[in-house]
Amino acid sequence: MPGPRTVRTIAAGAATALLLSGCAISSQSASTDEGTTLTFWSYYNGAQADWLAAQVDQFEADNPGVTIDIVKTVGDQQDQKLLASVATGSTPDLFINNIVVDYPTLVAGEVTADLTEYWEEYADATQYPEAAAWRTDGKVYNLLPFTNLIGLYYNADILAEVGIDGPPTTLDELTEDLAAVAADGRYKGLALSGAPTVEGAWLFAPQLLGVGVDYCTFEGAEVETAFARAETWAKAGSTPQATATWDQTDAWQQFATGEFAFGINGNWNLGNAGEADFEWGTAQYPAPVGGESIVYPGGEGFGIGSKSQHKDLAWSFIEQAVLSSDAGEAIFETAGSIPVRADVSELPVIQENLEVQPFVAAAHTAASWPNNENTASIQTALGKAISSVWSGQTSAAEASAAAIADIAAAIEDGGGTCS
Amino acid sequence: MSLALTDDEARPVEARSASAAPRSAGSGPDRPRADRPRPGALRRVAARTPIWFLVPAAGLLGGLAIYPLIVLVRMSLSDVGPTNIIGEWPAVGVDNFVAAFGDAELWAAIWRTLVVAAVLLVSNFVLGFAAASVLSAGGRVTEAVLALLVFVWALPPIVSGSTWKFLLDDSGPINTAIAALGLPTVSWLSSPDLALYSVAAIIAWAALPFSILVIRGGLLAVSPELIEAAALDGAGFWRTQVRIVLPLIRPTLGILAILTVLYAFKSFDFFYVTTQGGPGTTTTTLPVLSYQLAFNDFQMSEGATVALIAMLAVAIFAVPYVRAVRREEAGS
Repeated sequence: MPGPRTVRTIAAGAATALLLSGCAISSQSASTDEGTTLTFWSYYNGAQADWLAAQVDQFEADNPGVTIDIVKTVGDQQDQKLLASVATGSTPDLFINNIVVDYPTLVAGEVTADLTEYWEEYADATQYPEAAAWRTDGKVYNLLPFTNLIGLYYNADILAEVGIDGPPTTLDELTEDLAAVAADGRYKGLALSGAPTVEGAWLFAPQLLGVGVDYCTFEGAEVETAFARAETWAKAGSTPQATATWDQTDAWQQFATGEFAFGINGNWNLGNAGEADFEWGTAQYPAPVGGESIVYPGGEGFGIGSKSQHKDLAWSFIEQAVLSSDAGEAIFETAGSIPVRADVSELPVIQENLEVQPFVAAAHTAASWPNNENTASIQTALGKAISSVWSGQTSAAEASAAAIADIAAAIEDGGGTCS
Repeated sequence: MSLALTDDEARPVEARSASAAPRSAGSGPDRPRADRPRPGALRRVAARTPIWFLVPAAGLLGGLAIYPLIVLVRMSLSDVGPTNIIGEWPAVGVDNFVAAFGDAELWAAIWRTLVVAAVLLVSNFVLGFAAASVLSAGGRVTEAVLALLVFVWALPPIVSGSTWKFLLDDSGPINTAIAALGLPTVSWLSSPDLALYSVAAIIAWAALPFSILVIRGGLLAVSPELIEAAALDGAGFWRTQVRIVLPLIRPTLGILAILTVLYAFKSFDFFYVTTQGGPGTTTTTLPVLSYQLAFNDFQMSEGATVALIAMLAVAIFAVPYVRAVRREEAGS
């Protein structure tokens, strides 16, 4: 049995270790005689996590002595933890982030390292569209090598039974089809996320983007029309009241039950759709009348931590395991994400996949996100407003007025810049 | 290992010291020895010892409670966002509080938090007292129920919240059962009129075991002679409980009331799991609003301001209760 002195020593050591460890998750890279370890904060799940693990294995095999330590994080909390890591000087070497929401915040918070030199010297940079490199003041801070977009899924069996010829191409046609499904009475209408979050906003925004209204020009009769359309669907029962609390996973699970005629969701569910026991198809997000189908692009940004001691090695990982053509092809086949790299997007495996084509087409016309440090508040304002309409909490007129006012206030509070 | 003391160990400390200490040459019994602390010094050391015992607790309290509270107050009086959370925090006085109190969403959040507190108080006191009264009798069934209560109480909110979200879904088991009975289904979590009460009921379910255990503890402390005297006077079970027992455990109930209100004002996890503050804003209580402002919108100062307002609201409820309980204890 250890003596009191030993116990005191152990206790003091444990307390010191506890104090020094500080963070809940590891972020420290390390170099020893046996090699170098890089930390990678990732919130990938399922197929995307499998892809990342495979890329890490390949990179470690190609680079003896280098270890990539994937630290599992929570997606909702990734930006908070990254901001905190700067304060403690312990940013991870590598990380992914929800680029469309977090990018301005992470750049402003000095989380991300400047990748400009790496990007300009990267031989295959020309394979990527300009939009793949996210810049602030001319400097590259985040890379978006794969994109996720939203589109319309339809249950072909239900459409056939109800007597609908094919998927709608406009929102008016969708409204008519939903009415036909409701009149038939056997099935439900549309499954989509309407949570009071950025997700709910992302799913609703295309109803305005197609007629030229984005966050920077968020006002006018088009806004009221879009909210009124949502109210019509909700009151007719075409969108269940629970839409107001569904995230995208919830919405997909509802469509996958086979009870819904339509679902609005992302290309990352193409793999899951293959397991459905009904005939299904995809189409672009229906366009507003007089407009075209335009959606906001989504996806994960890849970055290097500003405090990383191994930025060159971290860039090597990004170059070899993320930006390469093999990596692009692998993530499409594994997880359904759409590579934006030109030579990969032309591969037969993508070109000959009919279901993915609406999402590929959407990538060509995708809208630009607001350039404002308050982009999270801007999107959440729309999410809350449309959620209140899906649930019946407020009328379309009240919700559209609130969204217009709150979005304008958030833009102003974020410095006033937008486009 | 034996816990028995030897004869030498069993003797008083001073006696042992006297016999064990080697006498130096020439030292007499009446002369103070340099190798032994004097009795006065011993007393002073002994008197100071408890202060050192407090150091770890004081350090933990200062580091984990007081310092974050100071940061929270400072943040609420500054303009802090994602761009300067690491750098300087420009002071803005009480601007954040003026803006918060001018925002209708804050008042709506306060009202929703009070609704949750009311539901919890009713549940904890009515159901808690009834259940504790029944469970104050011993027996195997009581032991089994108490074990179950502790299990429910110890469940992580993320687990029990997710389970309730599944159960209360529009097409979940509860609605399936309701539909099977030929009744219309209920939008427990997605109806703007019902969602707040549904989540409050889930929180009440999670809080009930604690209140039962606390009230039961109070009931067991009531003198059996008083109960017997009441029975001899012809009082029934519930009459005895209401007229005799309840007044006797009022201090316990006072503390429970404070804890219940505190619980309502800090309940966040069940909202986070089940509704995320929706549909719309119908379940956005003070802690949810504070979280959304600070960690979704990165308006750190606004989030800190709402958190501080919630703390002040709790203090408004807690201080009179604490003083009343102290008065009562002093009187008894």
